[in-house]
Amino acid sequence: MTDMPLPDPNQAPAVVPPTPAPGFDDAGFDDLVTGLSRWSGSLPDWPPARRVRAEWEEVAPRLDRARRELSRVLVVGVIGGTGTGKSTLVNALAGRDVSPAGDVARPTTVAPVVVVARDVDCSWLALDEVGARVVTSDAAAVANIVLVDCPDPDTQGPGTPSLAEGTPPPIGGAQRPSERNHNRDLLERILPACDVLLLVATAQKYRSWSVASEVAAFAPGRPLLFVQTHASRDADIRDDWRRELERQGIEAPAIHRVDGLEAARRAAAGLEPEPGFAGLVKAIDEELVGRAARRVRRTGALDLAGWFLSQAHGHLAPLRPPVAELASGVTAQTGRLEGLMEKAVAGKLRASRPAWQRVMQEELVERWQGGPFAMFLHAVAGLGSLWPKVRGGGLVGRILSGQGVPTVAAGDGAWQSIEEVGLAEADVEQSRSILVGLAARATIGEPMVGRTRLDERAVQTSVGTLMERTGHWLVGGVDRLVAERRDRVDSPLLHGACEVLFGGLIMAVLGRAAWNFFYGHLWLGHPLGGLGFLEEALVWIILWGLFLRWIVFARLRAGLDRDIAGLVTRLPGARLVDPFLRDFAGAAATTAAFLETGDDLARRHAALEARVEEGRSTLGRLKGRAP
Amino acid sequence: MAGAHDSPEAPRPPAASRYVAWAGSVGELCDVVDRLGGLAAELGAPSPDGAEWHGQLFGKLRPQVTREPVMVAAVCGGTNTGKSLVSNVLVGAEISRSLPEAARTRCPVASLPRGLAKAVDLAALFPGFTPRAWSSDTDALGGSAEGDDLLVWREDPLGRQPARLILIDTPDVDGTLRENWHRAEAVRNACDVIVAVLTQQKYNDAAVRDFFAAAAAGKSLVVVFNMVNWPAQRERIAGWYATFVAETGAAPLAVYAVPHDFARAESGTIEFFQLPELTGGTADPAAGPVDLAAALAGVDFDRIKLQAMEGAFRVVLDPSAGMATWLDAIESSSREWRDARGVLAEEAQVRVELPSAPRELVWNEIWEWLEPRRSRVDINLSRLYRVAGSGAAWVGRRIGIGRTAAEKRDDFAAVELSALKQALSTFIDRLDGACRRSPRLRALLGDTLVRGDRAAWYADLERRHAALPMVSDDYRIFVRGELDRFSRENPKFLQVLLTGLSLGSVARPCITVGLMMAGAAAVPAAAAAGHGLTTLVHTAGDYVVWAVAPLAGEGVLGLTMAGLKPLLERLFAGWSAERSRVLTETLHDVVLGDRLEVIERLATAGDRPEVTRARRLLYDCGREFSR
Repeated sequence: MTDMPLPDPNQAPAVVPPTPAPGFDDAGFDDLVTGLSRWSGSLPDWPPARRVRAEWEEVAPRLDRARRELSRVLVVGVIGGTGTGKSTLVNALAGRDVSPAGDVARPTTVAPVVVVARDVDCSWLALDEVGARVVTSDAAAVANIVLVDCPDPDTQGPGTPSLAEGTPPPIGGAQRPSERNHNRDLLERILPACDVLLLVATAQKYRSWSVASEVAAFAPGRPLLFVQTHASRDADIRDDWRRELERQGIEAPAIHRVDGLEAARRAAAGLEPEPGFAGLVKAIDEELVGRAARRVRRTGALDLAGWFLSQAHGHLAPLRPPVAELASGVTAQTGRLEGLMEKAVAGKLRASRPAWQRVMQEELVERWQGGPFAMFLHAVAGLGSLWPKVRGGGLVGRILSGQGVPTVAAGDGAWQSIEEVGLAEADVEQSRSILVGLAARATIGEPMVGRTRLDERAVQTSVGTLMERTGHWLVGGVDRLVAERRDRVDSPLLHGACEVLFGGLIMAVLGRAAWNFFYGHLWLGHPLGGLGFLEEALVWIILWGLFLRWIVFARLRAGLDRDIAGLVTRLPGARLVDPFLRDFAGAAATTAAFLETGDDLARRHAALEARVEEGRSTLGRLKGRAP
Repeated sequence: MAGAHDSPEAPRPPAASRYVAWAGSVGELCDVVDRLGGLAAELGAPSPDGAEWHGQLFGKLRPQVTREPVMVAAVCGGTNTGKSLVSNVLVGAEISRSLPEAARTRCPVASLPRGLAKAVDLAALFPGFTPRAWSSDTDALGGSAEGDDLLVWREDPLGRQPARLILIDTPDVDGTLRENWHRAEAVRNACDVIVAVLTQQKYNDAAVRDFFAAAAAGKSLVVVFNMVNWPAQRERIAGWYATFVAETGAAPLAVYAVPHDFARAESGTIEFFQLPELTGGTADPAAGPVDLAAALAGVDFDRIKLQAMEGAFRVVLDPSAGMATWLDAIESSSREWRDARGVLAEEAQVRVELPSAPRELVWNEIWEWLEPRRSRVDINLSRLYRVAGSGAAWVGRRIGIGRTAAEKRDDFAAVELSALKQALSTFIDRLDGACRRSPRLRALLGDTLVRGDRAAWYADLERRHAALPMVSDDYRIFVRGELDRFSRENPKFLQVLLTGLSLGSVARPCITVGLMMAGAAAVPAAAAAGHGLTTLVHTAGDYVVWAVAPLAGEGVLGLTMAGLKPLLERLFAGWSAERSRVLTETLHDVVLGDRLEVIERLATAGDRPEVTRARRLLYDCGREFSR
């Protein structure tokens, strides 16, 4: 040990001045953390997102601490099964017996032992809570780290109540001594304070389930050092251990193999350490001290963020197809309801022939002024207005009769008022019920989406919005249709032709009357024919006028059905039924956006990681599943 | 064991041991467990397969009570503690490869005395395992998927294994592969003697302790401390042993120490030193190694066997951990299902407000029934009415206020379908609600409600509704039956009916469709008949029939109507209930499938005769056993 380059403990820098780590993008990482924080809290109503948030709340303080305490010395937790020689190794590293070790009884270490250099302040470690004992050491190996000899995870039974709970009921009558064993609880309290885990194992314990489960719980974001002890007694199992670690998702570039007893003996005797132990000390010095500590903390933080992202990905990945299904379900159901509306509205428009006729007549009468045919049309319209005007009922009737959009009745009347546009409560509920099922697949429920049956207020507002939108859309469509038709007949040529044809008959009648009077009566001396001829002529004029009117209106009406069909095909563009399914559309959009943001953050993390990948050390780490 | 070792040739007691008397009860218990197994799994009660009592009953008692028993000695312990090495030494040949890597033995390897393979059924002796003949010492390493539940066996090649002793090497009990634990537990449950291989690292590990503690009752234990610094650690072993005994409650037959010796381990010639001072004897520091195989061969088979069988029986009969707990679980699960059924009956009830029945449909049926029973005058009169009526209807249609019969039916069908679809939506919503209230229902129905294609349910309802004739043959038969019955009960019926026919009757039915309603008696006959519908979907009609008298004097008819009204109610309600049957069919065939029958079966499972019989059997056996 004395041959090691031994820095003066008083000069050993406990706090290393911050220097930028090569390849690490601090600003990018800060952005990532901010992004993660915002993302994880962005959708509190969605259970999977809540779960992501809960995990974030576990991870965030650690990330925050890692960023704030970049320069603090690293805390190395020595963990492993009982009897693997943790304490012996700690004693060897500390250069003296600081932690009881041996084969007298298992477990040996019941309270954590914290080994620090003389000048290092470890008050921030909150050691009293776990009953830890602090010892100082002048050994070089622990000059710039805090070493914690942790209790074992494998002697406490699974049924042992936690420290906070009361005395357990004795199993099989008598209380077993192990029921007072809280080593694993203590371990789980001390490990959160550790930055690095030094995992100690023997040939008997490197495949221990209890150790593996603790490592799995605490490895995220904590670099790992691996040591096989009992080197003089056991075979070299490092290759198999590496395979086992690989199976657990842990990367182990280097595993040290030491004999703790021998190392402790040599350290105590001041002899040169054996090569295995020297390698471990060198690794600690190179990987965990000074600038390396900053790197460890940063890459640890980046790994932790990566682990969080991979966990989140694990929760969210199965939900991608259901979220996409919900979105396409919303489209399908919107289409279905719009189809019903299209059919009903087209039917209603087609059936309202008298109303169309009246609208177009009004238009025509307004445009065609002067001339006998125009006067005839006016007269017919005037007569028509004497007929009690049938007020249009329903939305379509009201719109065609120019009465504007009706207001929505309250209560059950709300549904009745939209029945004529083809939507019934049952249809809307059918769509909503189908979407409730699709949403449930994506674990979306209340309050993100409502229930199958809309409550009265929702019905009122949805129906109101629908009626208003439909009304405006219809008014616009009908106006356009009427305008098109009006343009069709609004030509001086047609007007002129009608006037000439109608006027021609009048002229012919008048000419005939004049001929009869001047030539027949005055010249030839025939008796006057009386008004009989004029009465007859009037009938013919009216019939001729009506015939011409019919032709004009036939031209106006021509292709009306086709145009109505054309009008209703534009209905989906008006997004009329959206109010009924708005909650589902919204939920599909927000959840898809949440997933997308998560992917984006994972890409940003991958880019940051690609930059530090080359500077990685020989420390082991838990590999996050690639999102 | 020491005593047994001294006199290996001591005469054995007669084979007709006490436990042969238990054979009948064991057979019955096994039978009842087999019968209840499927039901228990459906109920969600914990599977008995992993339970110790189940292992004892099926692995130990059933195969062994009926004939001369064999004794099974299993070598058990943690990973890499040298189980395979000890097994090989006991067998005297390398049956299982001993490797430096941990957790390599994946399946148990049994060594049978010569000639026993033909006499015993290994599959029955070790339930859950597939026996396979040994081919090499690497068989146990398994590794591939097929190695999973194999039990490798071979007959002792040297012929020195005692005639009734089976030696078995087991996988570890604390490694990272949990399936190894389960295999070890299965072997532990089936064996009589356990050779516990402990080391100073593992004797107090929770996983190891718990494994042996579970075996302490009824099993004979031989403890081997492996890899010991012998004799330096002799005194330490006493401490370890004391901890082990205190923790597990075991009373080992003997304790041995195996010195740590690489060379001997390599050559398979490890030495066993007995520590008699730990089992009530006196220590002899000068004593040499003993032959563990011979010691094991010399134990009193019948005594140990009897002890093991009694232990097994005690485990099965233990009220707090034995078979009774399983019956408790079945009953409590059944109670939960009963509650679930209650929730379903309460929640899943929907009132369907059907549109008024087109009365001519019902009347037509009545007319047809009447036709042969009416006088000529009467028929001519009604024919006249019909002609007049149809003339009036024709006029109505021409002026646009009347609708043809077909149109009316279409209108009715559309409104009716709407009502049925809405009822289906409500039903699904209620089922969602029921699942939220009851975890049991969620387990059974949740998947259907979430994964089911709801759009297909509606499509199914539409298809069934479209295919439903306005008047079905079932309904015709029902009407004729009702009228025949009524005319028998009311001799003056015809006259009454004829008067009644001049009335217009309008039925406005409300049908309640529900699941598992208690005492749902008001099921109209036509609705309940035929189609193999389960009786668990109920249709109850709470209908109202208003009779209006538009033509004749109401006072005259009042009297006769009183008798006719119930009949008309039944006829109309029967028709409506039959219409709503499409909903119940969709619910049953498409949405719920046979789940209602499952719930019904599970809710009544606790009252099944098998459960009662099992309880009585346990009680009888308990009395028998304690005598």
